[in-house]
Amino acid sequence: MVFTTFVNFIRSRGPDEFWRKRKIFKLAAHMYGRRRNCYSIAIRAVHKSLQHATLGRKFKKIHMRDLWTRRITAGAEQHGVSFIQFNEGLHKNKIQLNRKVLADLAVWEPATFESLARLGEELDNYGNIKE
Amino acid sequence: MANNSLFLKSGFIKVPLQNGVGRFIGQLQRVTIKFCKSHGNSRGVREFIENDLVDFAKQNPGVVVYVKPRRHRGPSIVGEYLNGERNWKPAGNLSREEIFKWINLMTVQNGETEAFRYRKHIRTKMPSIQGVWTPFTHRNLPNNLITYPNEELGEVLHKEQTATERLLEIAMQQNLESDTSKEQQKD
Repeated sequence: MVFTTFVNFIRSRGPDEFWRKRKIFKLAAHMYGRRRNCYSIAIRAVHKSLQHATLGRKFKKIHMRDLWTRRITAGAEQHGVSFIQFNEGLHKNKIQLNRKVLADLAVWEPATFESLARLGEELDNYGNIKE
Repeated sequence: MANNSLFLKSGFIKVPLQNGVGRFIGQLQRVTIKFCKSHGNSRGVREFIENDLVDFAKQNPGVVVYVKPRRHRGPSIVGEYLNGERNWKPAGNLSREEIFKWINLMTVQNGETEAFRYRKHIRTKMPSIQGVWTPFTHRNLPNNLITYPNEELGEVLHKEQTATERLLEIAMQQNLESDTSKEQQKD
């Protein structure tokens, strides 16, 4: 007996399926277990990781600024100046360098950074001259 | 997202500055043109091959040109460079002039020209002029040359008065007072 009807029940989802799914698997290649091998699980994992990437763009900026602030503080403390004193010293002298540049100076040009730190030596944490 | 699963590659600024300082050496090694002999989107490529290709090959003797007629697929131009990179360009529905321009652009390019994210927007060979910060930059270096034991540094810090010394001091004062009072009494 030849059953010819059953062949009609096979649904072709379309010729593009392999490449459509491959786009997802490429993004999930570094994941663990079924998350990288099974499409229905991978698609959820990939969507979540893309969401994290979108949110992360905002956090990257916050984290970088924090890193620069920490570096400036560390550099200034070496000269006995707190970050607030350092900042006030720059403001009083109308030096408008941003944190990125200041952090770079602290690393690559320590002499320049020291001279900037000395500007804030005489100030207290409220921006007034000490004593 | 892990860096290896991102489609937008990232890297530092490439600076091929040596080429052209003395003599300019074209970096394009070979150009492969794939097209269909009958399909409509290869028309521009076919016109280019018929009219401009031989002139292009004569003008660029250092570039090898391959022409590959392939049925039932879209046309493409692939430039391969001396550093091993490949620049694939789809040539479907491009006019003859556009293909001429793209192929001539490939002759002055260096490799893959895909957009990529700069990790740093600066590239220098001399990032530091004053000297990079080290943990010893703002430290007093002579401290490193001291030999121990050192009398000066071995002194006790914060010498406060001990209880015994205080008692002796009090006793001395009392003795003095009693001496003076005895003298006064005698007088």
